[in-house]
Order: sequence, then structure tokens, then C-alpha cells
Amino acid sequence: MTTATQDIDSQTQDDAFVGPSRSFAGGVHPPEGKHLTEDRAIEPGPATKELAILLSQHIGAPAQATVKKGDAVAAGQQIGECKAFVCAPVHAPTAGKVKEVSLLPHVVLGRAMGVIVETESAAQPIAPAFRRPEGFDPGTYTPEQICEAVRSAGIVGMGGAGFPTSVKIQPDAKAPKETLIVNGCECEPYITCDYRIMLEWTEQIITGVQLVARACGARDVFIAIEDNKPKAIEQMSASLQKLNLSAALRVVPVKTKYPQGGERQLIRAVTEKVVPTGGIPPMIGVVVTNVATAAAIADAVVHGRPLTHRVVTVTGWGVARPGNYYVPIGTSVQALIDHCGGMTDDAVKVVLGGPMMGIAIADLSTPITKTGGAVMVLTKRQIGTDRFEQRQTACIRCGRCLQACPENLNPTRIAHAVKNNLMDLAERYFISACIECGCCSYVCPANIDISGYIKTGKIFLARRKKKMPS
Amino acid sequence: MPQDITVSFAPHIRRPLSTQRVMLDVLIGLIPLVVAAGIYFRLRALLLIGVCVVWCVATEWVSNVIRRKPGSLGDLSAVVTGAILGLSLPPALPFWTAAIGSVIAVGVGKMAFGGLGANIFNPAMVGRAFLTASFGMLMTTWTVPAPIDANLPQVGPENIMDARTQATPLSWSKIAIKDENGADIYNERQFLSTVTGNVAGSLGETSAIAALLGGAYLLIRRTIDPHIPAAVLLSAFLFAGIAYLVNRDAFVQPFYHLTSGALLFGAFFIATDPVTAPLTRRGMWLFGLGVGAITLLIRIVGKYPEGFMFAILVMNGLTPLIDRLFRRVPVGGKPRVG
Repeated sequence: MTTATQDIDSQTQDDAFVGPSRSFAGGVHPPEGKHLTEDRAIEPGPATKELAILLSQHIGAPAQATVKKGDAVAAGQQIGECKAFVCAPVHAPTAGKVKEVSLLPHVVLGRAMGVIVETESAAQPIAPAFRRPEGFDPGTYTPEQICEAVRSAGIVGMGGAGFPTSVKIQPDAKAPKETLIVNGCECEPYITCDYRIMLEWTEQIITGVQLVARACGARDVFIAIEDNKPKAIEQMSASLQKLNLSAALRVVPVKTKYPQGGERQLIRAVTEKVVPTGGIPPMIGVVVTNVATAAAIADAVVHGRPLTHRVVTVTGWGVARPGNYYVPIGTSVQALIDHCGGMTDDAVKVVLGGPMMGIAIADLSTPITKTGGAVMVLTKRQIGTDRFEQRQTACIRCGRCLQACPENLNPTRIAHAVKNNLMDLAERYFISACIECGCCSYVCPANIDISGYIKTGKIFLARRKKKMPS
Repeated sequence: MPQDITVSFAPHIRRPLSTQRVMLDVLIGLIPLVVAAGIYFRLRALLLIGVCVVWCVATEWVSNVIRRKPGSLGDLSAVVTGAILGLSLPPALPFWTAAIGSVIAVGVGKMAFGGLGANIFNPAMVGRAFLTASFGMLMTTWTVPAPIDANLPQVGPENIMDARTQATPLSWSKIAIKDENGADIYNERQFLSTVTGNVAGSLGETSAIAALLGGAYLLIRRTIDPHIPAAVLLSAFLFAGIAYLVNRDAFVQPFYHLTSGALLFGAFFIATDPVTAPLTRRGMWLFGLGVGAITLLIRIVGKYPEGFMFAILVMNGLTPLIDRLFRRVPVGGKPRVG
């Protein structure tokens, strides 16, 4: 019980205090749950007959299908092209035949266009070996070459947001990107895919980081890892030392706290700089990229491989054999869960992502995308709807959500404003500055879905703005 | 394979701390005060607290039935209100008076506003204020605590003490203020009895040790933030200290002000009522400073010997304004409107 009441970080930021420790103010300490899968090496995922590849796996314009029903596709062939600037192409993970180009279940959009590929041979996917060239020098590539390779490989931020990486890393004379932070925090409980990559694909990540630093011209490069992953910190430091890169690339242990891996929180922890509200990191000369993205960049630039596979953690108490799997993008959640021994009898919720920010899905045929690092199956006990404790009471204004909010907002007031449809009031409480980390809902003793109200309020506001002429 | 899967917004896990548990922690924190009340005022004290709890719970139940709302007794907030009201009453108060106070506390102080979380004023203090205004005589009849040790000193000149009732330490200090003489009747031994609780007063307020023990539990459990109690006690000490420095004959030493009356009990258990206190840390400090200052203002200048209850009610009323004054600004600054 003691730990349960003490997991809000005592350091709050009413006074805008940002301490010298490598962390940020606010945040919470949910149970980590990493022990389920952290020692499970990356294994090949399920062999599937069908892959459903969405054309919208990123922020920005959807890709346009370049294949049609009946076409034969080769492994790594581009099947969706992009014309817009903020966009990423998609590729076929394996050779096969296009079964259909149609609307498919999409975790965020509900339904979106995608390509269903019937695979040629139902074989388990095997991660191709990455070989770091002897005496690798990122200087042999020009920034333009790197950006172009990243763009044509369809690489997007694999940590969750899915912003096209080539847009993010390209040099900008007006706003030079001086600092590169590589995000290996994995602050979301239960997920271990980035951790396993850091242990098993260390050199590939380092190569990718060097390429990104070369592309965006960053002088300071930090690899931030939460201090609950000492093995990853050790391994990364040792590899850097072996490659004689310790001076250029620094490993920064950061405090284990959710949402340490949130872009704005991580920047604050590592550089003590603050990204303006509503702004983006390049405004203060910072680029943040995820370790999995860095690994994909190395693969794309060095070996010319497009982003067609990723590591997914399948975890939670509701799945029989949790683990980390290398799977082709387009594998259905159902296939993954079946591969892990299926769901237990008390499983009640399937979440794409982690327990704090993941999205619960109703349709298990939803495919894995480039951004989805985890499938989590929760049990009745974890959700606990049958206990009085978990029922909602009125807000007792205890202020725990204020203390937990990493953006120094007043979540309970925003939630009440949205509940009463007072959207102007919600804006006066800076609803748009919410990063939707869910800390407020997590700590609420009244069990109010504060972040749910806030997310709903943001949708209301977006709709209202759309209707009003600007 | 399960039959159904559910969907909802993230996060999908919750901290196992409920409103019920918060209230239960407050009740656990109150145990030392109830024990102290039982020691000094015997069975009657426990019965009086029991009457308040029963009537508070009953009022909430009836009010839920009338308003056709789902039952809310499980959140234990009515029990907390009853216990705090009971502990703030004089030991000899008739049970029927306590029952009226309980009905007013929960009925008018809480349910009339819409129940838990919606009230502006601390319900227990609303009930007590009603009783003070309506039954002034009964509310100022203070029983002599049962002597646990005949050698322990009593506060005040002993020849004025009668067999049943006795003035509270703060009443004596009030007389000293009026006479501008006699503040020095307090000595260390008498200070000690305000610490242990062997003085006349409301059930829960006499023992400083019990209040500190209960408060420490709440702080360790993080049920309350330290800011409000710290602000209340700091500001009370400051104002008492200033008065003492101005006139040592009329005003008692500042430590007496902290250990006498409802200050310690209230700083930990009443001022920290989350519903009626500000949300932000700065707001909490302003709130606490206000409570301490108004309490001392009434004690030193006002008509009543004790002013904690009024101080709480005044600052409760100001809480919405305080929250507006200290609006939180996002970490990245105010967004540019565009």
C-alpha cells in the first residue's frame, strides 16, 4: 500500500522548478511490468497467409496505392507512394499477390485504405543481419543522400507518433538542429521492444544515430535510457567505447518515471530546455528520434532495406506466452496473440500500445503498423471493474492530477469544463497543451477518466474550428 | 478465449488509491484524537462522536433517497464529517444538539450543494457554526477532563475552577488580554498539559500530541500535502509572536497558541479538506496563511476566545477566488493565440 500512495513524484512544478537531476517535474510511477518480457530475446513472429498493409501509418497525407488487385508484388516493393511533403511510402514485407485494395480497420482512424497481400510462402519472418561496415564513416554520405534513403524506405517515428523521419531530420539553415536526442527511455510500462533492440541491435542503433546526426548536422548527441534498464545503458556504453565513439555520442541515464520518454519531457530532462507550448522541438534546435527508428535508418541507408518489419512486444497478464517478436508490418493482432498461445479466460481488453497511452481495440483483425510497438492483453483483475474501489465518485479536488501533470496543467478543471461543454473555459485552462499522457486519470482516486474528457474536448474543439471560417 | 473485450480511453491501468481509501486514511489518522478524547472525557466523548457519525451518515442516506441519487455512503465521507464534527464539540453537549449539528453539517453543508466535492464550505464547520450561533451556552460549557494523574497541573488559577466545568486555555488568555495582565500565568508545566491534552476544550482539540500523531500519519500516507498545515501553523505562530513581543503581560507565548484550541487538530484535519481548499501549491499557502492569520486575529482582537472555525469558513469562501488567482501556466508558457 505504501508504494501505491507514493507513486506521484513529489517534485511538482507550481514554482516552475526544473531540477539538475535528469528528469522533469510531475509524472507518475506505475508498476513497470517489464519482467514479463524483458528477458525474452527477439523471436520470429507468426507465419501469416495474409498481410494488411495500411496506406496511412504516419502523420500526414496517406500514401497512394501503386498496385491493384491481382498484381504480384516482390518483397520490399513499394506499394504505396507519396506525393505530399509530409508523407511516407509503404512497402510489401514479403512477396505475394495483392488480394484487395480496400478499407481496413485502423487503430486511430477507424477505417482507412490499405492493401491486403496474400503471401507467397507462409514462412516465419527472420530479421536480416545488419553488418556495420568496417571503419564506418557517416561522412561518406551526404545529408541529402541520407534523407532520400530514409524517405524512400518509408521510415516514420516508430515510438508512436509516426512523423515522417525524413522531414524531421533534414537540415534547416534557418533553425539549425544542434542537439539530437535518441529516445531509449521506453517509459511506457510493460513494453520491452526498444529494450531488446538496444541489447541485441546495439551497433545498428549506433550506426543509425551517426547517420541522423550527420543528416541534421547535430553537434550534441545524447542517447537517453531510463535507469531501470542498467543492462541497456551498459551495453550501449560498451559498444560506443568499442567503436571509439564515446566522446561524440553520450549515453544519458534518465530517471525512471512515466512519461520520461515523452518528447517534451525528455528534452527537458536532457537539455533543460523547454519546448514552447504548441511548438515543436526544432524551434529550440532539438531533434528527438526513437532507438527503433535509428535502427531502421541504419538498415535503410547501409543496406537499402525499406521499413517493412518491426519488433513488437506481446505482453500483459491476459496472454499465455508473452514475448518480443520480429513481425512484418500488416500482421493482424489476432495472429500475434494466437502465436503467443492465445488469450486467457479472464482477458477483457486488447490494447495496441502500452497500458498508459495505448489504444484499446475491438477488432482483432487490426493490423500492426510501423508505429505499434506492443500488443497488450489486460485481465479483469487489472481493470478491476467489479470492485467498489474502481467505481467513479465525484471529484474531491484532491489535486493529485495537478501534481502528476508533466505539463503543469489543471486536468480536473479542464475535464469539468469539457463535461459541462464549456469549451472556452477549457481553452482558458490550456486544453491544447495536454500531451495526453494519462497521468491524471492514472492517479485520480475518484477514478474519473480525466484524460478521456480532455481528449474528447480536443475533438470538439477541432470540429468547431473546422466549421468556423478562419 | 474470453467472450467479450471492452474498449475505453487510455490509461488502462489505475493507481489502486480510491476516494474511499483517502477517507479511510483520514479516519485512521483521527484514531489518536478519538483515543485522547476517550481518555480525558471518558465514554461520553465516544458516544458523542458516535452520535455525530450516525446522524451524518443517516442524513446523507436520506438526502440521497430524496434526490433519487445512487447511494454514496461507501465513499466514507459522511463518516469523516461526523467524526470531525464530533471531535470539535464540547464534551458535555447534549446528544440531541449534536444530532442537529450533524443534520445541518451534511444536509446543508454538503448535500444541499450537490454532495461530495460540490460543497464550498467544510461541512463539519458549517454544522459547528450553526450550533455556536444557535446554542451558544451549550457550545461554551467546558467539562474538566477526567484526571488521569491528580498531580498533573491544570491550566488557570485553581481557585476559580469549579467541580464540573472549567475555562479553556484560550478563555484564560482572553481574560489576560482584557486585563492586560496575567499572560504570565502560563508556565512550562501548564504548557505540558496542553500538549498532552489534560485541559478543558472540545473533544479532539485538547491533546496536541494526538493531533500531531494523526497528522504525521496523514503526511506519511501522503493523504494530505504538508503545505496547508505548514502555512496555517507558521502564520499563527508569526501573529502570536508579534502580539507577544508587543505586550508580554497581555499576550501569551506563541507556542501556547499552537497547542491550545483547534489549531493543530484543524491544521491537519480541517484545513486540509481537499474539497474546500485550493488546488495549487501557491493557493494552498495563501489559504493556510489566511486561516492562521484570521484565527489569531479573532483570538487576540475578536470577541471569541477561539477563531479557527470562522477562519476556515472565511477562507473556504475565498477558495474559488484563490484558485483563479493562481492559475497554472503550461510548462512551455502560454500558447500563442492563432
